[in-house]
Amino acid sequence: MSSHFESIDQVVNELADSSYIADRALATVLFLAHRLEKPIFLEGEPGVGKTEVGIVIARLFDTELIRLQCYEGLDSSTALYEWNYPKQLLHIRLEEQGKRERNKIEEIIYSPEFLIKRPLLEAILRSEEKAPVLLIDEIDRSDEEFEAFLLEVLSDFQITIPEIGTIKAKKKPIVVVTSNRTRDVHDALKRRCLYHWIEYPSFEKEYKIITVRLPGIESRFAKQVTRFMQKVRSVDFLKKPGISETLDWTRALMTMQRDYLDEDVVIETLGCIFKYQEDIKRFKEEIWADQETRAEYLGIDAPVK
Amino acid sequence: MTNDQTTLAGKVLCFAGFLKGRGFKVFQSSVHDALRCLEEISLEKKEDFFLSLRSNLATTDLEWVQFRELFDQFWARVNEEKILDKDELESERERQMENLDEEFLPDDHSDLSTAPDNSDKKDWLEGVVYSPVSMVEKKNLGRFDRGDVQVAQLALKKMMDPFKIDISRRSKRGRKSGNIDFPRVIRKSLKTGGIPLELFYRQKKKRLKRLVIIADVSGSMDRYARFVMPFLLGLRGIGSRAEVFVFSTSLTPITFMVRHLDVEKALKRIAMEVPDWSGGTRIGYSLHQFNQGHGERLLNRRTVVILLSDGWDLGGKDLLMREMVFLSRRAYSVIWLNPLAGDPDYEPLCRGMKSALPYIDYFLPADSLQSLKRVGRLLSRIMIH
Repeated sequence: MSSHFESIDQVVNELADSSYIADRALATVLFLAHRLEKPIFLEGEPGVGKTEVGIVIARLFDTELIRLQCYEGLDSSTALYEWNYPKQLLHIRLEEQGKRERNKIEEIIYSPEFLIKRPLLEAILRSEEKAPVLLIDEIDRSDEEFEAFLLEVLSDFQITIPEIGTIKAKKKPIVVVTSNRTRDVHDALKRRCLYHWIEYPSFEKEYKIITVRLPGIESRFAKQVTRFMQKVRSVDFLKKPGISETLDWTRALMTMQRDYLDEDVVIETLGCIFKYQEDIKRFKEEIWADQETRAEYLGIDAPVK
Repeated sequence: MTNDQTTLAGKVLCFAGFLKGRGFKVFQSSVHDALRCLEEISLEKKEDFFLSLRSNLATTDLEWVQFRELFDQFWARVNEEKILDKDELESERERQMENLDEEFLPDDHSDLSTAPDNSDKKDWLEGVVYSPVSMVEKKNLGRFDRGDVQVAQLALKKMMDPFKIDISRRSKRGRKSGNIDFPRVIRKSLKTGGIPLELFYRQKKKRLKRLVIIADVSGSMDRYARFVMPFLLGLRGIGSRAEVFVFSTSLTPITFMVRHLDVEKALKRIAMEVPDWSGGTRIGYSLHQFNQGHGERLLNRRTVVILLSDGWDLGGKDLLMREMVFLSRRAYSVIWLNPLAGDPDYEPLCRGMKSALPYIDYFLPADSLQSLKRVGRLLSRIMIH
């Protein structure tokens, strides 16, 4: 696979080849990000395939994926680097036997050997031959101090470790930042990125995704599942099921040796679609209680009891 | 060719200005990058052109959904411009002006001073003629029409930025307890040849106070609540931790819902579920319910309570007073947001408001985006421990 995108069409084709169904908008963003060396900022509801984008890009470029999962309280010692303190302490004790000078010891314990590399530093160090893909997942979970810190790293991909010096990336990693929008991310960060909002997939797209990801599936069954999910999404549930729920559910159904949806199997496997008790209750009471809607959800060609 | 390029760049710049006028956050660097992008793609496909601009110029989902409409609007006009008869343009502008007058007759010079009386034909391109944001800011929230709502949502989002309130799980140096501060221990131990004689700790930084929002969503207040609540919840660091209740005749907790839906949807949902929705208002009774059912758990000296109501109370006067006393004793501070208070002639005449007033720490209007700004500032001051 080429490591160089020439046109948007090429990106569309290559994405399809590595079994990620993307619309032209996403392909355009990837193309531009590659050409302009800008990070991509992905937002969207949970389960629409944001993280997947990073994984697919890594596959496209045939390079490594370095993932940084954000959480509240994430700081530079867990994102960037940390000194291996216990090892340093041990080393100091060992050195005491020999007669080395104090500043000599210091030099040793602050050498790369005692450095624990965290994802960001890893991404910079790995860029020697081939730029890796750096996936910064769920940035909205980290706090603002971390965002500010990230800005610095993303702008010139260099890290200064006081005891060692400045390390600079040879090639800029491809950066994908994702957010679930639980809070607003600061403008300064957004400004440096290309923005893309991933929507819930359309019927055609979702159908395609199912057939590509689960090759063994019958097309009639895939259509039925897709129609069902599209219907479910039109209702205002607390947590609408994303494409990942669709895949999970279909996989579960296939494991159960099913090749069509009927009323019983839907009720049995509701847990794959809904993640809140409230939603399940609402689905049972408002949608599943009515004979007609049931038939509508299951599709015309489903056996009606 | 070069000539063509420059005019296209010019148009993109105008487009950026046009978006800005509609509440988009457009950065200089994004415009620059958008132009760089255009060099990379082939301009034959309009879709690619659109997509490239969108990925650079939109930065939130709200902007994302509005983008296509605005894009079409703008570029259609650019294309028409050469063909458009001057008269038509004039008449269109007049129409626009009439609309403005209707909405802004009483106060305005500042906004209309930039208005285009004899300005030249290209003015709309610069986005000065009609900048919805600056107008919407002063407009009474209750009089918003549907067009304003979109602009206002973006403006609200923008407004929340300055009021930063951080909750932090970062630690600071501590003396006695907490996690061991390894870097410091090591640093200090070098003095004693690597034996960590002294231990140092880190402690968690202090946190925010708890915010409790109790909003009146009876008929008269419904529209205000829709704006004020997203604002309060959107303030950084506050929203995700706030406890939210709504009431008209009785109290309903919606904390769970607003954490998972946006406020608009949550309110719609409740409206369907609660039978006596938009009936009368019984503040006293609702507060009583709150104090009885949730007071023990939620009220302490670290709680800031925001009441959002116009103060029209159908319930008994004594009850409201009693509950206000309880509330003001238990909570750190009580803020009452009243949309009517924005009127300079307003006096808290109605029964409910009058009896509650002595027990309120801050009494603020919440009738326009501007007054909300003030609320934000106040909150960012008193919410910190």
